[in-house]
Amino acid sequence: MGEEQAHRVFEVASGDFGGKLMVTRRTGRAVREALEGALEELPKGGILYVDTRGVELMDYSFADEALGILASRSASGEYGDRHLVLVEEDRDLLENVEASLRQRSLAMIRVDEIGAEPGIVGEVPDHLVETLQAIYDAGSITNAALATRLGLNHTACNNRATRLAKLGLIHRRVETAAPGGRQYTYERIA
Amino acid sequence: MKTQLDLNVRSRGAMSGVLTMGSLDPAFDAATRVDGGPVVLDLRAVEFVEPAGLCGLAALLEFLCARCEEVDLALAGRDVPAYLERMDFFRMFGERVRTNADVAALGERRRHNPGTLQELINFHTEEEIPGIIGRISEILENQGYRLRERVAICSTLSEVCANAAEHGVSSFGAYAAVQAYHHIVSGARRRGEEVLIAIADGGVGVRETLSRNPEYAEHTTTDNDALRHALEMGVSATGEIGRGGGLALVAGIAARSGGSLSLRSGTGRVTVYENRKNSRNVPQFPGTFVRVSLPRTPQEKASK
Repeated sequence: MGEEQAHRVFEVASGDFGGKLMVTRRTGRAVREALEGALEELPKGGILYVDTRGVELMDYSFADEALGILASRSASGEYGDRHLVLVEEDRDLLENVEASLRQRSLAMIRVDEIGAEPGIVGEVPDHLVETLQAIYDAGSITNAALATRLGLNHTACNNRATRLAKLGLIHRRVETAAPGGRQYTYERIA
Repeated sequence: MKTQLDLNVRSRGAMSGVLTMGSLDPAFDAATRVDGGPVVLDLRAVEFVEPAGLCGLAALLEFLCARCEEVDLALAGRDVPAYLERMDFFRMFGERVRTNADVAALGERRRHNPGTLQELINFHTEEEIPGIIGRISEILENQGYRLRERVAICSTLSEVCANAAEHGVSSFGAYAAVQAYHHIVSGARRRGEEVLIAIADGGVGVRETLSRNPEYAEHTTTDNDALRHALEMGVSATGEIGRGGGLALVAGIAARSGGSLSLRSGTGRVTVYENRKNSRNVPQFPGTFVRVSLPRTPQEKASK
């Protein structure tokens, strides 16, 4: 794997607008704005861990406004090359996050705690799941190596991985390779 | 001459003497024809009030107070006036509604924590909702409700309140009532406990709200069409992606727990159960009304 990426942890329950009971779009908006501020302060390639473990209740409206819209803007490239990872255990609270991301055909990487094995919350198209798994198994892998592993041609492999990078689920690095070509390397973000 | 508005309180069976939303139907029907003169709403047959009946009553009185020179409330016995007082009903309506009940005497033995959750809340904006949820959650926690149960109750309440604050804009805002019972109140007699949540607003209603989105033209022919559509995942007035999930999800939670969610607006009413949805036509309701039943079966109770 590459060097340790810059990261920051944002604890939703203890932030300025946070608490144990997170309800309404209005509250979600305030939290999302704070999260956006934290994202923008990160260097390129940085990772923001959104830790919701201290939250007892998150209704759908809050989850959609805070995390659904955040994931949607991230996927449309608004935060540049910065990534989001949800820190949350597998519990009921995830249902509303899951519902919001599914409505939006989006997904986020989730870990039980920082450093733990990553999982997915939300929706990843079936044909991309295998590609995502291969990248996470490898930690860091070039397009050529990934294509070989998956038995795909380079273009198809690049298309799949680019889609995953756009969803914010992996990090994609471009290196100039001799002679005059470009080589893509994909890395897990958590 | 005063116009008398009657109720249809059943005198037999499990729902005997209970003020529900349905028992107010004849009064809502008659209310559309009031001419501005004094009216009297006769609640003397009522022995017991459930949150839906209380919210419905509040919405009906708001409707009448805005149209009639004088509104009288006829009450009988001691329990119902005492219950209304405990729910702060006379603080909200005392100035605007006359009653034969001796409210001053009730005020002397004002409520102190009555042991179970029972609240009537009037609110206007989304900003007030987190505070309401915080208070209800604390009461439930003190009552020994587990986190999972509190989450189901509070997220249901916050979503229906948020809908009312967003779409139900009216002079009186919205009324929400919550009550926790140590027995089952709705449906067939069985063992367990139940929490009832009701909310009523005086807004334009579901059909009008959904009609603003031209995409839903074929789903807004009747009030019941609009209500059924509003309960689908992802259906909202603005049509923005991500919107319109709250109501569908809370209906799912209620249905899966063996309870139900009823949505009423205009002349429609749709109730969602675990394996079916019922629609029927009802007298005009001037706004939107939601009632949620969340049963609490014995094995789900905190084992202490």
